[in-house]
Amino acid sequence: MTKSTKTILWVFFLIVALVQLFPLIWLIDFSFLSSNEFYSSSVLKWPSDPQWQNYINAWVDGKFLRYFINSAFVTSVTILLTVILSLTLGYAFTRMQWKLRPIFFTIILLGIMIPIHATLLPNFAIFKALGLTNSYLGLILPYTAVSVPLGTFILTGFMRSIPKAMEESAVVDGANIYRIVFQIIAPLTAPALVTVIVTTFLNCWNEFIMASTFLSKDALKTLPFSVMNFAGQYSSDYGSQFAVMVLTSIPAIVIYAIFNEQITKGVTAGAVKG
Amino acid sequence: MQKVFNNKMAIFLFVFPGILLFSLTFLVPIVLSAYYSFRDTLSPGTPSAFIGFANYTELLFHDSRFWLALRNAVLLGLGFILIQHPIAIFFAIMLDRLGGKAEKWFRTIFFIPCVISVVVISKMWLSLLDPTFGAFNKMLDSLGLGMLKHAWLGDSSTALISMLFILIWAGFGWGLLFYYAGLKGIPDDLYEAASLDGASGFRLHWRITVPLLSPVITVQITLAMITALKQMETVFLTTNGGPGDSTQFLAVYLYNKAFSASQYGYANAISILFIIVCLLATYLSNKLTRSDATEF
Repeated sequence: MTKSTKTILWVFFLIVALVQLFPLIWLIDFSFLSSNEFYSSSVLKWPSDPQWQNYINAWVDGKFLRYFINSAFVTSVTILLTVILSLTLGYAFTRMQWKLRPIFFTIILLGIMIPIHATLLPNFAIFKALGLTNSYLGLILPYTAVSVPLGTFILTGFMRSIPKAMEESAVVDGANIYRIVFQIIAPLTAPALVTVIVTTFLNCWNEFIMASTFLSKDALKTLPFSVMNFAGQYSSDYGSQFAVMVLTSIPAIVIYAIFNEQITKGVTAGAVKG
Repeated sequence: MQKVFNNKMAIFLFVFPGILLFSLTFLVPIVLSAYYSFRDTLSPGTPSAFIGFANYTELLFHDSRFWLALRNAVLLGLGFILIQHPIAIFFAIMLDRLGGKAEKWFRTIFFIPCVISVVVISKMWLSLLDPTFGAFNKMLDSLGLGMLKHAWLGDSSTALISMLFILIWAGFGWGLLFYYAGLKGIPDDLYEAASLDGASGFRLHWRITVPLLSPVITVQITLAMITALKQMETVFLTTNGGPGDSTQFLAVYLYNKAFSASQYGYANAISILFIIVCLLATYLSNKLTRSDATEF
């Protein structure tokens, strides 16, 4: 490609990126405005008097920290469980020899196709009867159950490409099956595991509908509720609403910025081998 | 080796926890859902009578909303396939050609909307498309296109297309990433051979890239239909199916039937049909796309 085509392409991408990010830029911009400035005719507006108060409202009345900690806890436990269960299931489905294997594999794969929304109503009844509504477990269990099928699918695809010679030499060295799975297979599947971790993170961190159905206790609510909190009391205070949306988006964007390379590598590896 | 792979204890320990959890929060609920779908339950835990297939006959033969929700899912799915995916493929190819640091940077930027919470996306777009202070109408004004100003999500003629627009914006990065990953799997020497044969530019990509991407495209088309069928959160938080059912989707419909309209049994019948539709859609789109995918 010539240098000038490259420049044209570069400029084109820059414009598209700006257009694509415009909603977020607008969100950040207006989060510094007072609500009466919202109605001016300009599309973007330099804040003459930045309303930091909006962010204080967002932090305090959005109960940001409380919800953030809940989200972090629920998401970490879900990821941990998902990784362990998908790894062991994936191994049992690709390497182990047992009769019911095809049936169980099909059952697990059904989980990818069946919408979680279809399990929402009965789970609500079950959790209510078991006292699981308004508990961390009431979110962790369904989040894990939803994440395991995709995780297993990604990992089985990846494990099939690992040569059996690795395990054979480990067996010769006297390793048992558990050492093989957790000390040899787990590190070898690292790129696929990253994909599993990332998709699980994104799904759980931002999940709203199950959380809003199963939780009513304020102390347990997750981050998306920060935004929902502003529906009543602050419904006309757009500045504070926008500030809480900006705040809520920051953690996921930071995590994405840190793991960006692994995400792409993981998805690439998963998509090509899976 | 055989002994290790036949270890019954290990198989049990590996499979049982996952299957148990999956059964308890996925399979048992669906069975329970089926049970409720044959009853006239108003809300979970209240006494109800067995009414046979009454909920199903009502849904299939007298409930136009059910069919509207299905039609909307098909329209949305077609919107994804005909608009979002070609754009994603185009950008993936262009990104791949750009190369270097810029390639990485733009890839990162394009994915940002995908990491943002659906609650934020919904509330943000609700504001962006707001008829009074929304940036979209202001932009039309400043471009001298004020006559096009609109209550985008509030008007039944534009609500569904606005929804498609929001969802394309939010999901574009995933599509791009998958096609990009697929592109990286195409060996370079194929392009070299083709350009030696005189193919270039658009023709080169049409003849080589697109056919070689067909396995990825197949999977993505199936996923697009499923995504459209499963649509819920964004709709729920912006239009809640309205105005006048113009953005009605099965998941939103069943949720509102269960929790707002107190027709829990009926909602469970929707749930069961929803599952059947999703399984059918996956099966059909797999069948259809697999058969005419080019083999290499």
